Amino acid sequence: MGGRVTAACCTFLLVLLANAASAQQKIGDPPEASNMRLVGTNDLQARSAYQPTIHHQGDRWIAYIGHHGGTDDIPDPVNPMTGKAEPNGTSIVDVTDPAHPKYLRHIPGQEGKYESGGAQMVRICDGKDLPKGDRNAVYMLRAVGSEGHEIWNVADPANPVLVTHIGEGLKDTHKNFWECSTGIAYLVSGAPDWRTRRMTQIYDLSDPAHPLKIRDFGLPGQEPGATGAVPTELHGPISTGPKGNRVYFGYGTNKGGFLQIVDRDKLLNGAKEPTPDNLTFPEIARMPLSAMNGAHTVFPMPGMPIAEFAHDKDGKTRDIVMIVDEAIQNECGEGRQMVWFADVTTEARPMMISSFTVPEASGNFCERGGRFGSHSSNESMAPVYYKKLAFIAFFNAGVRALDIRDPYHPREVGYFIPSITAATDKRCVTIDGRDRCKVAIQTNNVETDDRGYIYAVDRANTGLHILELTGAARAIAGLP
Amino acid sequence: MMRAWPVIAAMFMALGGLSAVAGYEMAQPQAAQWREIAWPFPRDGWPAGRAFRCSAAECGGDVEVYLRPKLGFCNCDSGVADDDEVDRVADVDMISPRFVPRKAGDVVDVADMPGRIRAYDLDGHRTAIGIAVSHRCDLMAVAAQGSGDADGVQRVTLRFLESQEITKWMTSALNGQ
Repeated sequence: MGGRVTAACCTFLLVLLANAASAQQKIGDPPEASNMRLVGTNDLQARSAYQPTIHHQGDRWIAYIGHHGGTDDIPDPVNPMTGKAEPNGTSIVDVTDPAHPKYLRHIPGQEGKYESGGAQMVRICDGKDLPKGDRNAVYMLRAVGSEGHEIWNVADPANPVLVTHIGEGLKDTHKNFWECSTGIAYLVSGAPDWRTRRMTQIYDLSDPAHPLKIRDFGLPGQEPGATGAVPTELHGPISTGPKGNRVYFGYGTNKGGFLQIVDRDKLLNGAKEPTPDNLTFPEIARMPLSAMNGAHTVFPMPGMPIAEFAHDKDGKTRDIVMIVDEAIQNECGEGRQMVWFADVTTEARPMMISSFTVPEASGNFCERGGRFGSHSSNESMAPVYYKKLAFIAFFNAGVRALDIRDPYHPREVGYFIPSITAATDKRCVTIDGRDRCKVAIQTNNVETDDRGYIYAVDRANTGLHILELTGAARAIAGLP
Repeated sequence: MMRAWPVIAAMFMALGGLSAVAGYEMAQPQAAQWREIAWPFPRDGWPAGRAFRCSAAECGGDVEVYLRPKLGFCNCDSGVADDDEVDRVADVDMISPRFVPRKAGDVVDVADMPGRIRAYDLDGHRTAIGIAVSHRCDLMAVAAQGSGDADGVQRVTLRFLESQEITKWMTSALNGQ
């Protein structure tokens, strides 16, 4: 009897171990998918990728993709188009035919590895939309590490021309936002005299060739000369422009985060000296997350009709902000970073109403290697998906498609976990003083275009994956 | 000659007394006895660390030291870059959010990890020390508070961190052990 029990226990353990082992991706394994399909790929020269922005230029669709710095093994990958080793910067890819994306140009960024180099963030505005822009120009704003920010004319995306440079000697730069209709840019910077690595420098970039500084903005306690506790650093803002008159700021990464709701008009036109009173003046509300979560993306969706509330005499529509935390630690070495939905209809009293995470057990994701948890969402507000579907980059769990029509009850309707390739970089944890490394997909950012294609990029150098919805998920978007 | 003896004896006694006073003032407090205490702060974004107390009799003034690893909280290349970073990460804000630096900080090396150390006034009547040292992309955050002068609190804190047990624990905590 005892032998049978032992044998059964051993078998059970073996099955458990086999499951854990099988969770790890191997080169040649097919992608894992539900209601999403791979349309095309590009290796992005095996550069670690951050923000993709997809822009409709004439009759072409161009993807602009920011990169982190290089790796310990390959600090400056070779650009096969030039034959030269170049520090990671910005990739420009023609995705007009998404099945056959064509790499057009790599613009080198700042020397440095991982988060210390590259040119992570990129935003695009047409010159014809900017109040004082060259009507024939297409402007790309990019953050170039501690070197500052740059604006390039990418009207000919294969031959970009540098227009101007903004800022010097910054502690850091990150997830900017640029209003194309006004030219107002919220540049995430680390001004040298501020007490934080990331705050906001607001510029009027309506004439990109002649940037005008409006003000520095941050939280009281971060400003120059302050003492005492320093509030959590900024991750990035999203503005609703003059019409919405709100700027939503996400603070934190994986800890101590919060959403800050700011009156845009007061922000731009209020007193600009960075005193505690002046920094507080534009703030409408601040909603803290758990100390174990940060806010990478704060994506506003005002005026969402809620079907469940359709017969209520008040509150039929709600103003919603989707908040996405960023996982940092490999192999679940931190509290779970996930997606939150806040009802900000009564702005002074925002309230968290729901959350979403990928069930860990659905893929043994803590065992796969690399980060597991959310990082970012798509930020396109094109009608095809806005307020209907959201796409979340979930590191080793790939891209997750959420039905958000009822933000009180978001539900997953599709996912795609890309295959790893020979270019996919390892991710390590330290155990007993030694690195133990695994290779896993690390889907880092995701964006959509007006046609409904979904663009996922990989932090572990696997490149760009262009996807489309299928089945029930596609029907939600009304796509044929 | 006989009359000189009392004078000589008095001089020796006076010198002996002065030496005793000087010796008392120069003497180190007796070997500091640090006692581990419960982590005294509410839960925040990081797991609780370890806390220790040394009494006035042993450390020349009450001193408490709090230390914990913060994994993934550091620039992997530049480490602890400046005093602002010490203000942000060293956990002095857990003791009191109203801390004021006494002066610019200094570089420091703790358990073979480089970083910075800075002294603060707390609420106008106590002293705090903030220390942040890095190992690859990870930090060891140390905050200390005491009733004595800043130099004294800093000295006993650093001496405590140099102890074999604490050095070993810090190294282990940042090495996944």
